[in-house]
Amino acid sequence: MNEKRYPPGDLAIWIFILAELLVFAIFFASYAFTRASHVELFNIHQLQLDTDIALVNTLALITSSYFVVRAVKAISVGKRSECVKWLLGAIFMGLIFLVVKSVEYAHHYSNGINLRTNLFYMFYFSLTFFHYMHVIMGVVILSVVTYKGYSGGYSAAEHTGIETGASYWHMVDLVWLILFPLVYVMR
Amino acid sequence: MKFESQKVAMPYFIAAIGLFVGQILFGLIIGLQYVVGDFLFPEIPFNVARMVHTNLLIVWLLFGFMGAAYYLVPEETETELHSPKLAILMFWVFLVAGALTILGYLLVPYAGLAQMTGNELLPTMGREFLEQPTITKIGIVIVALAFLFNIGMTVLKGRKTVVSLVLFIGLVGLAVFFLFSFYNPDNLVKDKFYWWWVVHLWVEGVWELIMGSILAFVLIKTTGVDREIIEKWLYIIIAMTLITGIVGTGHHYYWIGTPEYWQWWGSIFSALEPIPFFMMTVFAFNMVNKRRRNHPNQAAVLWALGTAVMAFLGAGVWGFMHTLAPVNYYTHGTQITAAHGHMAFYGAYVMIVLAMISYSMPLMRGRKAANSNKSQVMEMWSFWLMTISMVFITLFLTGAGILQTWLQRFTETPQPFMVVQDQVSLFYWMREIAGVFFLIGLVVYIASFFVGGEEATESKARSSV
Amino acid sequence: MSKKSISVNQATLVYFILVVLTLLAWLVTKTNISGVHVSMVILLVSLLKGHLVGDYFMGLNRVNSFWRWAIVVWLLIPGVLIGYAFLI
Repeated sequence: MNEKRYPPGDLAIWIFILAELLVFAIFFASYAFTRASHVELFNIHQLQLDTDIALVNTLALITSSYFVVRAVKAISVGKRSECVKWLLGAIFMGLIFLVVKSVEYAHHYSNGINLRTNLFYMFYFSLTFFHYMHVIMGVVILSVVTYKGYSGGYSAAEHTGIETGASYWHMVDLVWLILFPLVYVMR
Repeated sequence: MKFESQKVAMPYFIAAIGLFVGQILFGLIIGLQYVVGDFLFPEIPFNVARMVHTNLLIVWLLFGFMGAAYYLVPEETETELHSPKLAILMFWVFLVAGALTILGYLLVPYAGLAQMTGNELLPTMGREFLEQPTITKIGIVIVALAFLFNIGMTVLKGRKTVVSLVLFIGLVGLAVFFLFSFYNPDNLVKDKFYWWWVVHLWVEGVWELIMGSILAFVLIKTTGVDREIIEKWLYIIIAMTLITGIVGTGHHYYWIGTPEYWQWWGSIFSALEPIPFFMMTVFAFNMVNKRRRNHPNQAAVLWALGTAVMAFLGAGVWGFMHTLAPVNYYTHGTQITAAHGHMAFYGAYVMIVLAMISYSMPLMRGRKAANSNKSQVMEMWSFWLMTISMVFITLFLTGAGILQTWLQRFTETPQPFMVVQDQVSLFYWMREIAGVFFLIGLVVYIASFFVGGEEATESKARSSV
Repeated sequence: MSKKSISVNQATLVYFILVVLTLLAWLVTKTNISGVHVSMVILLVSLLKGHLVGDYFMGLNRVNSFWRWAIVVWLLIPGVLIGYAFLI
C-alpha cells in the first residue's frame, strides 16, 4: 500500500493540533481526577446542565466535520463550487454551535452561575470556553479558506490550504466528542 | 558585514558588556551580604545593591537586544539602517540616563530620589525591577520609540523576512508591555496582577520571540541551512511560546488574591511553557547537524547551542519544577525561585546576546568571518567557565531552596525565616564562590576580545560539535 | 499503486455511525441510568467516535504511523486516566 508520509494539510498545523490536544488532554485528566475527590458536587451540578442543547451542539459539530470531508473530496476532483458549498455548510453548522453555546452561557449567567461558582462550574466554563474559542478560530480559518476557494485559489492538484483548515476543524470536533460525554454525561 | 550602518551595533554591545560587569560585581556584593549581613553597610545596603544588580541586568540586555537588532535588521532587509545617527544619539541618551539612574540609587536614599525626580506627579517607583524614577521610565519609552521607529522604517524599506518580522514584533511587544509599568493601582491585588504584564509577558512572552529570531539568524549564518526550514521552526516555536505563555501568566496569580481558577489555568498552561524551549534545543542541534559548512566562528555556534540548552534547563526544567500550584504553595518566594531566575535569565537572554556578539563583533571589527583560533579558544573557555559556574550557582540555590521550603513551610514545626536562613548559609557561601568563578569567566570573555592573531578559516576551524 | 482514499460513501457511513452513537449517549442522560459501568461504556464509545474522526475524517488511516498513533495515544492515555479517575 502506498502510505503517505504526512497527514493532510500543512505539517505546521499538525504541530499546533498536537499542542492543542495536549492542553485539552491535561484539562480532561484534571477534571476527572478533581471529580474523584468531589463526586457529590460534580454529580449534583452536572444534572443542572442542559443535555438537549448539548446534543444539538454535538450533532452540529459532527455534521460540520462531515461537510468539511465532503468539501475536501469535492476539490480533490476539481469541483470548486461544490467544495465552496460544502464549506459554507460547515461554517453554518459551526455558527449554530456558537449561537447555541452562547445561549447556554447566557442562561447560566442569568442564573448567577459563573466561573467562580464552584469547582465543577470552574471546570465546565474553563473547558467549554476554551473549546468555544477554538470553534471561533476554526470558523475564521474555514471562512478564509472558503473565500480563497471561491476566488479560485485551489485546484485538484493544489488544495493544501483546504486540507490544513479541515484538519484543524476536525480537531475541534474531536475535542468536543470527548468533552461532551465527560462533562455532560459521565457520572 | 554587508552594510555600513550595521556598525552602530558595536557601541551597544560594548556598553552591554560593561554594564554586565557592573551587574556581576554587584551580584557578588549582595551574595556576600547574604552571609555577612553588614558588608558595605550603610554605604551600600542590600536593597540598594540588589536594585543595581537587577536593573543593570535588564538594561544591559536591552542594550544587547538593540545592538542585535541594529546588526541583523539591515542584513535581513538588505538595506541600510534608516538613521544610524538616531541610533547613536539614542545610545548616548539611554547610557547616560541609565548611568544617572544607577548613581541615583547609590548616592541618594530612595525616598529622596523619589522626591527629587517628582515621583508624586506620576508615581511609578517602588516595585521590584521597576524601581526606576518615573522620568527614567519616560526616557526608556522615548528611547524605545525612537528605536522601534528606526528599525520599523528599515523593515518597511527593505526585504521582509520571517526573522526580522518576528524580531520586530517581539520588540514592539517589549515596548508595549513596558507601558504597564506606568499603571500603579492602589489595590494591591491589581497592582500585582498588572506588574506581571510587564515581567512575565516580557521574559515568558515577547522576549522569547526576540531570542528565537536572533537564534534563527545566527543559525542561518553559521550553518548555511535553508532559510525556509529555519523560518518554519521559528514560527512553530513562537506559536508554542504564545499558546503556553499568555494564559501561563496565571502561574503568578495563585496566591495574590485572585480567584481560584487561576490555580488551574496557570498550572495547566505554564506546565507546557518548557515546550518552546525544548523545541529550540532540538532546532539548534538539528540545524547544526544538518549544516552545510563548518563556519570559522565556532565560538558563536557554541554560544548558540549553549543558549538553547541552558534556556531549556533554566527556564524550562527549573521553571517546571515550581510551576504547579500545589508545589508553588510551598516554594513560592524561596531560593528555588532565585535558582530558577538565575539560570533562566542566563541561559535564555544573557547567552543569546553573547551569541550575537560572538557572531557579529569579529565582522564589525574587520574580520571576514571569525576571530583567530587563539581568541576563539579563549572565548570558549569563558563560555564554559560562566556556564558551569551558573550551573553550580543554580544547584546551590536549589539546595538552599529545598531546605528552606522544608524547614520554613513544609514540616510539622515550621521555623522562622531568619532561623532558616542561618541553616542554609553554607549554600550561600558556596554560591558566592561559584559567583567568583563566574566573574573570572566574564573577565576571560572580555580578554578574548583583545587576543589577535590570524583569522580562523573554514578548514582550520576547530569544530566545537 | 492506488492510494487507499476514503470514499464519500465511507465518510457518510462514518457520519451516521457518529450520529447514532451520539444519540445513544444522549438517551442515557434522559433516563436515569447512571453508575460507573455505564460511564465506562460511554467513555469507550466516545473514544471510538474519536478514533473514527481521526481515521476517517482526518484521513489518518492512510498516513504514516506516527501521526495516526499520536491521535490514538491521545485517545488512549487521557481515556485511561479518565477511566481510572472515575473508578477510584
